[in-house]
Amino acid sequence: MATALSPEDVESRLRARFGDDVLAFEEQHGHAVATVSLARYHDVCRFLRDDPDLDCGYCDFTSAVDFGPERGFEVLTHLYSVAHRHNVRVKVQLPAEQPTCPTVSDLFPTSDWHERETMEMFGIRFEGHPQPVKLLLSEPFEGQPLRKDFPLMSREAKPWPGLVEGEDLEDEE
Amino acid sequence: MGLITEKTPLPKLQPVKFLLNWGRRYSLWVMNFGLACCAIELIATSTSKHDFIRLGVIPVAHGPRQADLLVVAGTLTDKMAPALKRVYDQMPDPKYVISFGSCSNCGGPYWDSYSVTKGVDQIVPVDVYVPGCPPRPEALLHGILKLQEKIKGEDIQEKWASGHSAVS
Repeated sequence: MATALSPEDVESRLRARFGDDVLAFEEQHGHAVATVSLARYHDVCRFLRDDPDLDCGYCDFTSAVDFGPERGFEVLTHLYSVAHRHNVRVKVQLPAEQPTCPTVSDLFPTSDWHERETMEMFGIRFEGHPQPVKLLLSEPFEGQPLRKDFPLMSREAKPWPGLVEGEDLEDEE
Repeated sequence: MGLITEKTPLPKLQPVKFLLNWGRRYSLWVMNFGLACCAIELIATSTSKHDFIRLGVIPVAHGPRQADLLVVAGTLTDKMAPALKRVYDQMPDPKYVISFGSCSNCGGPYWDSYSVTKGVDQIVPVDVYVPGCPPRPEALLHGILKLQEKIKGEDIQEKWASGHSAVS
């Protein structure tokens, strides 16, 4: 009977294999979250999939976060082991200008569509993706709507009439 | 009804007009264009408790080509908009559109979304707007009564001459 690896076990295995390429490691809600270097991102995912103890054969999702012009983007891939029932998230940091990330769709077919969505929503290029075209947006759509600097045209025309979330709290303090 | 065109000589006699409109307004074959949670309210209106069939609304149109009434219930996205236009264009005249719920009226809670069409009246002419998020089935019944009032007062030849007009 296979047993779930604790986040500490995942960390020690990843650090033993990849050393300094594991830039940061934390535990979130019992999930292992590893920030790895861009160069070894694909190798880390392959190791997580193929190592018999880790055995993360299921890619839950691939997505990204926009942290603004200074910190750039973060691409994250959530992997799950169906056999061992543990979760591992792999994160990579990308620059704000021309973010490019290697694809993992050759390892996990699931991430194919997720990477296409991330590509159209954030403008992140996935190198080696077999079909780098839009997934959800209509064809004439221009821009990357989930980027922080994407203008919301309705708000440009008429400002939000209510309070911005959290703003009233700051005024009271 | 499809045989009546603007060239058909139709006597401007009140009994004929009354009979024609009476028949039309109590036989509204509806095309359910359900897009989101509002569609559930639309279905609830058609079932036994609220039962819009007693008002002559028939929810079993086999497709847009057999329908008189299009109910757009839910969030219309820019990607879906061409499909709505296509469904509307397939419906035979005279045809009516009810915009059901805030999303289809004006975008609703998604008013600043990058992908939602802010109002289906940008795509198709709307006869009755039903507000609410989602509106209760009673609201749709009220909207149907409003539409029937509109049909009651219509002159089919004038309608052809002037095109469609929207009421709220």
